[in-house]
Amino acid sequence: MNDEGTARTVSNSTALNRPGIAYRIVQAAILVTLLWKWEFYLQANSLYAAIPIADPFFPDWLESVWTVRTAFWTSILAVGIGLLTTIALLRKVSSWIALGSMSVLCIHQASYNDMTFITAWWCCLWSLWLAYRLDTENRELLIRRAAFLSRLIISVIFLGGAAGKWTPEYWSGEVLYDIYFIDRDFWLFNYLRETYEAESLQEIAKWYSRQVVIMETLSGIGLWALPARWAATIGVLLLTGIVILSNKYLLSVMACLIGLACVGFLVPRRSKIAMGTRQPMSTTGTPGS
Amino acid sequence: MDHSSETPSHCKNADRDFGFYAIIAFVLLIAIWLLLMPWIPGIASQALQRFHLRTPSFAVWAMQFPIPSMYNFANQYKVDEFPPELVMLVFDEKWRYANHFPARVITFFAGRHDFLSSQTDRWFTLKSSYRGQTLESKFHLEAQAEGGYRLIRMDDDEESS
Repeated sequence: MNDEGTARTVSNSTALNRPGIAYRIVQAAILVTLLWKWEFYLQANSLYAAIPIADPFFPDWLESVWTVRTAFWTSILAVGIGLLTTIALLRKVSSWIALGSMSVLCIHQASYNDMTFITAWWCCLWSLWLAYRLDTENRELLIRRAAFLSRLIISVIFLGGAAGKWTPEYWSGEVLYDIYFIDRDFWLFNYLRETYEAESLQEIAKWYSRQVVIMETLSGIGLWALPARWAATIGVLLLTGIVILSNKYLLSVMACLIGLACVGFLVPRRSKIAMGTRQPMSTTGTPGS
Repeated sequence: MDHSSETPSHCKNADRDFGFYAIIAFVLLIAIWLLLMPWIPGIASQALQRFHLRTPSFAVWAMQFPIPSMYNFANQYKVDEFPPELVMLVFDEKWRYANHFPARVITFFAGRHDFLSSQTDRWFTLKSSYRGQTLESKFHLEAQAEGGYRLIRMDDDEESS
């Protein structure tokens, strides 16, 4: 890269601390995810204490309501500190604590099944990696890598959804018909039930289910390979679309991923001068960016 | 071409980003696992057992938590107030679908509220299918005098393909 190109790239990346902004956006999104689970916390606080289930499969401490309470509050506190602090050490420590408490929630009897904690866990893993890299001087390389990891993570989450749906019961729409179309109280399904007969609803459910399978499959296989801004735009649209067209509770699952997808918007456009010259070694290390 | 002699030191540091490559490797491993699931029955069987809390070891089950599984498999459940033998004689079966981890109808707050608030015994049957492979599990939730329930697994060997 010639001096002018280098100067422009450096000035672009030093003018704005894009990795720092990305880190804060994702922390804010994880907070939205956790706070959207407020009802879960309230229920956990009362129901899990009132109706404990002794199951030899889980260790005692992973059945305890106190563990859920502690892990949930600790994760909120840690992510909140990560969002606000400017002290690198504190950021690293809070990222470890957030990842640890999220891991507990992912295997606790009361919360293992909730995809909210799985998506938040992936965002915490990404955050931990970035927390250790934020003092890197080459911010352009860092934000490209951060964006690449963000779309890689979103891709594998979509792939996980898709792979489990490659089965006839989803292709026929049978599963989603029962879960959503029969009695789910949500604007879209209420409207469809009021407007269509049962037979038509089953046909709509079939195509609804098929578009979910196809969309998740394509995103799972291909999102990570798109250019950063394209991936960010498509990711945000798809993730938001899932919330709008499925149910409001999914916002807790999707909010942190939407934040993660937004990292792609922070990748600087390459200047013509930089494009016309040899790329610095650092930028070639980021596949698909 | 050797870039090392002309690369600034901060770029060298940035390139020694083991965390970055470790996350890529981890994601790749999970992606391979997911992509093989439809073709290798053993992987699908692991995933089905994971959904029914029937993985032979808790540690192996817990290790799988990062594998995303939103709305995986055709999961059905039914809840009875009487033991399964009696229900088969008396009532029609009423199955509903669950999105993922069907054992959630026992363990998660909504299921506990709906089915276990009465503090009387309940019998749960879970059935998950994936590309011709089916796992069925029965659980007896035995009400305890001191409050709460004890979960008893029944018919631990009901797996078909």
